[in-house]
Amino acid sequence: MASEKTKPPNPATTVRELSQLSSQRLKLTLRGGEDGLDNPISSPRIQKLGLALAGYIDYLHEGRVQLVGRTEIHYLQTLSAADRKTAIKQIFARKLSCVVITSDLKAPPSLLRNCEENKVPLFKTKALSSIAITEISGFLEEQLALRTTIHGVLMEVYGLGLLLLGPSGIGKSECALDLILRGHRLVSDDMIVIRKFGSDRLMGSGPSDFRFHMELRGLGIVNIKELFGISVLSPKTIIDIAMDLVRWNPEEEYDRLGLDERQYTLMDVSVPLITMPVAPARNLATLVEVAVRLQMLKSQGYSPSGEFFKQLDARLKPPRSSSDEAWRL
Amino acid sequence: MIRKTLRIKSELGLHARAAAKLVKLTSQFESDIKLSRLNVEEQVDAKSILGILLMAAAQGTEIEVMIDGKDEEVAMEAVVQLVNNRFGEEK
Repeated sequence: MASEKTKPPNPATTVRELSQLSSQRLKLTLRGGEDGLDNPISSPRIQKLGLALAGYIDYLHEGRVQLVGRTEIHYLQTLSAADRKTAIKQIFARKLSCVVITSDLKAPPSLLRNCEENKVPLFKTKALSSIAITEISGFLEEQLALRTTIHGVLMEVYGLGLLLLGPSGIGKSECALDLILRGHRLVSDDMIVIRKFGSDRLMGSGPSDFRFHMELRGLGIVNIKELFGISVLSPKTIIDIAMDLVRWNPEEEYDRLGLDERQYTLMDVSVPLITMPVAPARNLATLVEVAVRLQMLKSQGYSPSGEFFKQLDARLKPPRSSSDEAWRL
Repeated sequence: MIRKTLRIKSELGLHARAAAKLVKLTSQFESDIKLSRLNVEEQVDAKSILGILLMAAAQGTEIEVMIDGKDEEVAMEAVVQLVNNRFGEEK
């Protein structure tokens, strides 16, 4: 099994990273508090300032992005100038990461002033609160996800993410090349960056540079993108199945029945694992394709080998009469 | 598991030929051999040339060598020697 190294939970990302988030649906413009751009963000969860402005700041969390929407702005407008100042001032008793004003609303001057004084970046966006929440938390989930790198090959086979593991020189790259020729897609060869996606999935991608290269013994380093084009590449995939390639060892017992269910676990997430012995005359790419097809059946609740043994069990039952159907060949 | 920090002294850094030599050496050992830049979490397999090249370790870069397995001591000694000898290329 390829060894792995899991980084302890990412301590935090920074507001500066967030400020670079610019998608089609959300653009953040910095309005003030630039000195706080290195403030940490430690949770992907977004808070709406809401009740905190009314004085209930017990649940105001440090390390989260604070959102100000229509509700907050309209509430502040109902207050007298003096009350408004107090309402805004009190939330800065906590060390806030940053504040985002949505729906292109106008920032109250005292909010801007407090942000400057307390080094809390203040952003504005045209997006509605609902969209800002989805976009920002999606971005932060990815930034704050647990991450690890492993050695292997990641492919997309029939649309499922397949992780090929095994020692150097066993033929992972050659197998990947075969799969590419059969129309499957390469995500990364050699070094794979894996992020925990939500609580129960693994998302794999390649390193940012050189990721569409492959080393083939006898040919050297080749560029898959140049040789086969963009259609055989995939930037990232959820990992659905892992296959460990091992040298054929006559002493070892391999799964002969297909009833064993083994798991590959990384960062507390498990995916089905197949141990595949490699030997001459075993066409790996074909075996991989079949393994993925089996996985597709299994994920729909059908186990082909289970079905076989159910039929066999029926035949092995003692006959009730000679005309028992199970005994008729 | 043993680890050691080494500095790349050769002028061209850990370039292609040097990486090839390193891979040739590490592949002779049974132990699991990993490299990383000092203080960088990403590890690469020292038996994979692509992985080593991905590190892009220039002259002066400090790399950490992590070896785990039966022949780890011998392997470490060999790796240290090769790196400190500037991959046997320069005088």
